[in-house]
Amino acid sequence: MNETFEFTDKLKKQLFIMMGIGLLGLVMVFFLHPHNSHARFWANILANTYYFTGISIFGMFAVSAATLAYGGWHVLVKRILLSLAAFVRVSGFVLVLIVVLGLLNVHTLYDHVKEILHESPVAENHTTKVIFFAPAFWISRLVAYAFLWALFSWAMNKFFARTDQTDPKVYKQSKLLAAAFIVTFAVTESAASWDYIMCLDTHWYSTLFGWYNFASYGCAAWAMTILLVIYLKSKGYLSRVNENHVHDLGKLLFGFSIFWTYLWFDQFMLQWFANIPEETSFWVKRFGEGYFKFTIFGALIINFLFPLFFLIKRSAKRSFKMIGFGSALLIFGHYVDFFNYVFIEPNWNHELQHGHHAKLQTEKVVLYAQHEEHPAAVSDATPAHENKAEVAGEVKHEGAGHEAATEAHGEHGAVGAEAHGEHVAGGHGHEAPVSNFAGIGVGELLVFIGFLGAFLFAFFNNLSKRPIIVENDPYLKENEKLVVTYS
Amino acid sequence: MSAAATTTPNKFVVGLWDHEEVYLHAIEHIRHKGIEIYDSLTPFPVHGLEDALGYKETRLHTAGFFFGATGTTLALTFMTWVMTTNYPINFGGKPYWPVPSFIPITFELTVLFAAWGMTLTYLVRNKLWPGRVPRIYDKRTTDDRFALVFDAEKISAQEISDIKSLCTKEGAVEVKDKVFAAGE
Repeated sequence: MNETFEFTDKLKKQLFIMMGIGLLGLVMVFFLHPHNSHARFWANILANTYYFTGISIFGMFAVSAATLAYGGWHVLVKRILLSLAAFVRVSGFVLVLIVVLGLLNVHTLYDHVKEILHESPVAENHTTKVIFFAPAFWISRLVAYAFLWALFSWAMNKFFARTDQTDPKVYKQSKLLAAAFIVTFAVTESAASWDYIMCLDTHWYSTLFGWYNFASYGCAAWAMTILLVIYLKSKGYLSRVNENHVHDLGKLLFGFSIFWTYLWFDQFMLQWFANIPEETSFWVKRFGEGYFKFTIFGALIINFLFPLFFLIKRSAKRSFKMIGFGSALLIFGHYVDFFNYVFIEPNWNHELQHGHHAKLQTEKVVLYAQHEEHPAAVSDATPAHENKAEVAGEVKHEGAGHEAATEAHGEHGAVGAEAHGEHVAGGHGHEAPVSNFAGIGVGELLVFIGFLGAFLFAFFNNLSKRPIIVENDPYLKENEKLVVTYS
Repeated sequence: MSAAATTTPNKFVVGLWDHEEVYLHAIEHIRHKGIEIYDSLTPFPVHGLEDALGYKETRLHTAGFFFGATGTTLALTFMTWVMTTNYPINFGGKPYWPVPSFIPITFELTVLFAAWGMTLTYLVRNKLWPGRVPRIYDKRTTDDRFALVFDAEKISAQEISDIKSLCTKEGAVEVKDKVFAAGE
């Protein structure tokens, strides 16, 4: 009964083809969209690496939480959850590399942070941000996350595969390891979400962003687990896992989807209601661009309405076909969600040149900051930009907006998200900004497939090293007996 | 959990088991013999018990969905009516029909309606209204005994003794008669 997954050459070849597709996509976005220091290329790398890292660390979290709660329901899929974490051993360091390259002016994703760091004198409400994002502190934090995640990924995979789990001493150690990871996860997961994603728009903040990311990881990780369980079963492994176990995972997937929506809506409604410029700029930017309005509400439909009406049925969660379809859709839906967070800033930095002070396209933020000289435009911030929702390639000339921005800086400089960029003398009269619009195009899909391939390669590679099911787990019998059927 | 009966029987045979595994197998064998089980009482939820007893999936959650949908509809229509027709006020410069601020209340009312509706449905369906005198077949079913209850009202003495011997054969640690006074 002690089966070990065989990582066949055929599967390896398929995954290498997926990674090749991803590489093709990366090359494509790199050469077809060279504007803004290849921002689209870097945004693709950041969004995907961050997303799959999240899925990775959530796998360890799920095992830790279930272990601490004396749970037995996860024992048959424990190695699958832990193998999700194999990817983080690489991706954690890739994320650090992305930020380091950003600070070295290779790309422009973190230019909003750099603006604050180069500010002189530092604006009053930026003093703590300057400390928090001081490169030494920032990078050392990121390196610490990467090392901790890699360390726990290695340690937990090794520990939970031990065959002497019934030994009381080992059993107690498992609780300690799980508790140590829960604490580490709580801190690193929240802080990583600020350090990698929230700071892309440095002025915006959301106090529940760590939670929000956690819920996204959760949905994606449960969906990924379900798909992998179904895949492994179709290959003849995991014969002891039946639809009751998948039902349990499906319930978690459904629950996390609703939890995600709760946080999504909380984040939106509190900022909508409070109407603080630093917070609402985030939504004005996104709802102002027709494309992002579409992806934001598209993500909400996939990640909320779809699970609400489709996954709520018991039969949907127990049918491998239906839950598999739902899981695949939700994995994509949460990718779209992170897309909304990562991709808007590169679109926004139309003209950022590294090494110089930023020349930003600021007219929208100025409108939103309600510049008094344009009352007609400010009366209704959101619909004012609907005409901006054009396809890629459109050249935008917003000279008037830049004048407004320069004037507005004196009055609202500390408030508007991008207004600080306008320190530059001669904010008007410069060349028209090159449109650098990046939606979910072929490039994004190809890169996503590539990263999925890399993630699965790490997963299967880790899974094949040890038996899929750890015999002698004290809760194994309980988990095997999980049978609930109605006539 | 009893099947709806026109008249409630007062005379029962109660078999008591002390282990859930044996109990589950006993249920399967007894049902296989075509003997009808009136009720089943366990000190804790037993996995697979519904299946063994042949219960159909409960329809309570379907009822819950409709209770919840009622709450959603009521909350949204009422707030819409108030904010647009009955007493429109401007608060915080928000539109007169500020849907995002309706959502938390709508959510709460959905939960409230679903929770109350399902609880009351459950209580009514299981005849657990206030003042009801509970029928206790054996006090140890809340401690360490798994009980099977058979309706002994309309069956012959021969059948009763058959049931009793079958229970003993299937590992029951105790089999007894239980008669309630009419109206109890």
